[in-house]
Amino acid sequence: MGPVHLRPAAEAIEPEVEPLAVIAAAAEGNVTAFEHLYARFSPAVYGLCLRLTGHPPTAEDCTQETFVAAWRALDRFERRSLFSTWLQRIAIHMVLARRRGLRVRFEVAEPPAGMPDVADPGAGAPPIDLERAIATLPEGARHVLVLVCIYGFSHGEAAQALGVAEGTCKAQLHRARKLLSAALGLEE
Amino acid sequence: MDGPKHENLDARLARLPQEVAVPRNLWPGIARAIERRPRRARTFAIAASLSACAVGALLWAALHGWDWKGAADPGAAHPVSASARGASFDEPRDTAYLAARTDVERSFRDRLAVLDPRTRDTIQASLAEIRRTHEELRRELVAQPSNAVLEHLLESTLNDEFDLYDSVVQGTQPSMNRS
Repeated sequence: MGPVHLRPAAEAIEPEVEPLAVIAAAAEGNVTAFEHLYARFSPAVYGLCLRLTGHPPTAEDCTQETFVAAWRALDRFERRSLFSTWLQRIAIHMVLARRRGLRVRFEVAEPPAGMPDVADPGAGAPPIDLERAIATLPEGARHVLVLVCIYGFSHGEAAQALGVAEGTCKAQLHRARKLLSAALGLEE
Repeated sequence: MDGPKHENLDARLARLPQEVAVPRNLWPGIARAIERRPRRARTFAIAASLSACAVGALLWAALHGWDWKGAADPGAAHPVSASARGASFDEPRDTAYLAARTDVERSFRDRLAVLDPRTRDTIQASLAEIRRTHEELRRELVAQPSNAVLEHLLESTLNDEFDLYDSVVQGTQPSMNRS
């Protein structure tokens, strides 16, 4: 398994700058422009889907569905949020929409193959990889941990995105941290 | 709860990259899906050009909330108002639409009967999942009527249902012609 590539090699757009002209062209129906948006944003969407599902093939499906949904709704995108944030919301909805039917596949007993091979700079010799430990968390705990701790959502934002109460969100995060600490062999 | 241990863990989590390389190029599949499911405005033109196709016309009617009787009489009221439906998109409920939908479903069931039991079970399970998802989204839209993403997903599930009907009808055509 190779290292994580932060973005496609061919991508020349500054990562922090939203390509507004390309977004506008895609909203007008320009498929080539939309392909550029796919190239630019698919690693972020896939990363989120992968962390939320813990299942690479399902993450690919959700990523694909997210871009199809985005294409169809793009002419109604009003720029009240960043395009990347809007895509994130669609991706979360896609994962949640598939959750019930694929629950068995999501609940993995062993660290799934295909998780990114990320070096963990904060640990000397962790018992298992941090990414794989996240993937083995129970679904609800994993969703909250991924959104809050990796993607920077507030508890309120995560609760709204996941359709749960904020208190539930906090409880799930506490549970996730506890399970993750145990899995990584961190001191109590 | 948020002691040094958690701070350490949080720092490690925050250092994980948000982006992960997609293992394979998903664009060809996305491009095909975009071609098959154009935006609403273009759905009109495509479905209108395929007026002989019952599935296409029915899908168009559903996507545009078209009252077939009302189409002949532009002044006629739509049978289900947007507020009553709880969202700006939902299927029409007038008699003509429902009769056409029943016809399409009947064709689908007839063609389904020629398939082997295992394939039939798989298709029926897929259809049940699509319908369950559609109902969940419809209920959620009642609570969040202005949620454009949910609205889009609702529309997508209807697309999925009609795509499934169309695939079965088209896919069983050769075997039905064989004698």
